[in-house]
Amino acid sequence: MDNVTEEYKTLVAIAEKTGGEAGSFGSEDAIYVVVHGNNILASHALPGVRIEATETEDGIDANITVEAGVTVPKPVHLCFGHLATMGRQVIKSRIRLEEKASAEFQAHCIFPNAIEFLHAMEGEIHLGPHSNFSYREVHVHGPEGRIDVRPVSRVRIGEGATYRGDFTLVEGRVGNLAIDIDVEAFGRRSRVEITSKVYGKYDDFCQVRDIVRLTGPESSALIKARVVLKDRSQGKFLGLVDGAAQGARGHVDCTEVIQGEAKAVASPVVQASHPEAEVTHEAAIGRIADEKIQGLMAKGLSTDDAIDFVVSGLLR
Amino acid sequence: MLEPQLLFVKGIEVEREGNPILRGISMQVKPGEICGVLGRNGAGKSSLAYAIMGLPQYAPKSGRVWFNGQDITDWSVTERARAGITLAWQHPARYEGIPVRDYLSLSNPEAGENELSEALKLVQMESHYLDRLVDKGLSGGERKRIELSSIYLMKPKLAILDEPDSGVDLLALGEVMGLFKILATGGSSVLIITHREDVAAACDRSYLMCAGKMILEGSAEAVKRYFLSQCEPCLDLEPSKAREVAASHG
Repeated sequence: MDNVTEEYKTLVAIAEKTGGEAGSFGSEDAIYVVVHGNNILASHALPGVRIEATETEDGIDANITVEAGVTVPKPVHLCFGHLATMGRQVIKSRIRLEEKASAEFQAHCIFPNAIEFLHAMEGEIHLGPHSNFSYREVHVHGPEGRIDVRPVSRVRIGEGATYRGDFTLVEGRVGNLAIDIDVEAFGRRSRVEITSKVYGKYDDFCQVRDIVRLTGPESSALIKARVVLKDRSQGKFLGLVDGAAQGARGHVDCTEVIQGEAKAVASPVVQASHPEAEVTHEAAIGRIADEKIQGLMAKGLSTDDAIDFVVSGLLR
Repeated sequence: MLEPQLLFVKGIEVEREGNPILRGISMQVKPGEICGVLGRNGAGKSSLAYAIMGLPQYAPKSGRVWFNGQDITDWSVTERARAGITLAWQHPARYEGIPVRDYLSLSNPEAGENELSEALKLVQMESHYLDRLVDKGLSGGERKRIELSSIYLMKPKLAILDEPDSGVDLLALGEVMGLFKILATGGSSVLIITHREDVAAACDRSYLMCAGKMILEGSAEAVKRYFLSQCEPCLDLEPSKAREVAASHG
């Protein structure tokens, strides 16, 4: 068996455990792309969806278009990863949903052996009128080492369109994470939901920066972050919603839970650039209550297992 | 010949923020019995439960606790639970995002869907609760009954039930009290902490607590009679007065 096949099998096996439906990769009725480093190992599209991907020096550059009126029935799986301990991977993408298109993308970012690695995702997302797009990004890192993760997205949302973004990094070490999402909901009644779930350990650094500008009349946004930090990890959250149009409504909701010597900063920022906008926020930083941990210890769990159990619920 | 004891507490003293809350408590629970600790609010009953369970903030400054023949005074909560002690809290914690199914499975990872449903049925809950979350969406009474179900699934050697009736509606109260017998029949000893004489009446034997002291031990009926005729609400007493009351009981 050659190396390429082995890499494909390993990445896909992990991806299928992290929200990928078993058998999606390699299936004739599924859309998927599998990239190891800067090698496109597999790519498959269906009518109504165009994928143009090229290999670059340190990653890939891809254009993905879902044509007008097309509803993609199954999630589109994007598997990006590397099995090496050191290196870099930069994924540049432009995703466009044309009018009334609908699709759910699941990105699986898999670096099980990384010790010193840079993984950057530079994405532009354009949603046409009345389109519907969900983007879920799940990371799997190994238990050791550090990895620099830089997911950067610029999203523009047209009239009546919906964007749902869900970023999850709860397995293995986070390393050094800097999520940077900037959304402009310029279309009337456009809608944004952004959820980030991160579990930092050891000396991980987790920075989440979600910015939404509601420039479309009656547009709405929900930014939600659940960050759990333990050991000596640090977290910094900035969630900003600017209500910049008539009838725009937004809410920022951040909960950070700290254990051990972890430190957290939460900055929910609401701004009403338009007098008829309504934006609200809530934020909390706290420890896991002793009564929760002791309640589970009274069932025989160790302290660490009790904390992990509580965290698994918070990040679900 | 001495009677076998499952739990033996000898002269434990516990302080919180410099105030004595358990003062020379001695008691025992026999294998398979349902034993009650009755007392007014503020008598120290829950503190005794926490001390037996091993909560660090209730560690005794003197006295010893034996369980199943072993001195467990210095054991952690986890070690005590693994040895067979568990506690159903008066106000069980809530766990955001955790389904009831996962929560109950902690008590018995081998239990299948039928056993989980059966455990809920014992406290008058339908199996659809397995898909609910153990969070603010449950009422206090529902959360309480789920906790009792989890105790049943755990099949501990000693189940400490702290105010098992609190928040439970009258219709479900019969099932909750019936659970004491089911636990005992299944081989568990049950230690019931309560301020209600009708709950204590379901016990084989009872203690009466007042101001951090055990002031009476006897049949459930005798303790209930004394409680109804003699006890004042400790919560209404100044700590110094409460100590006087306790001292008057010897």
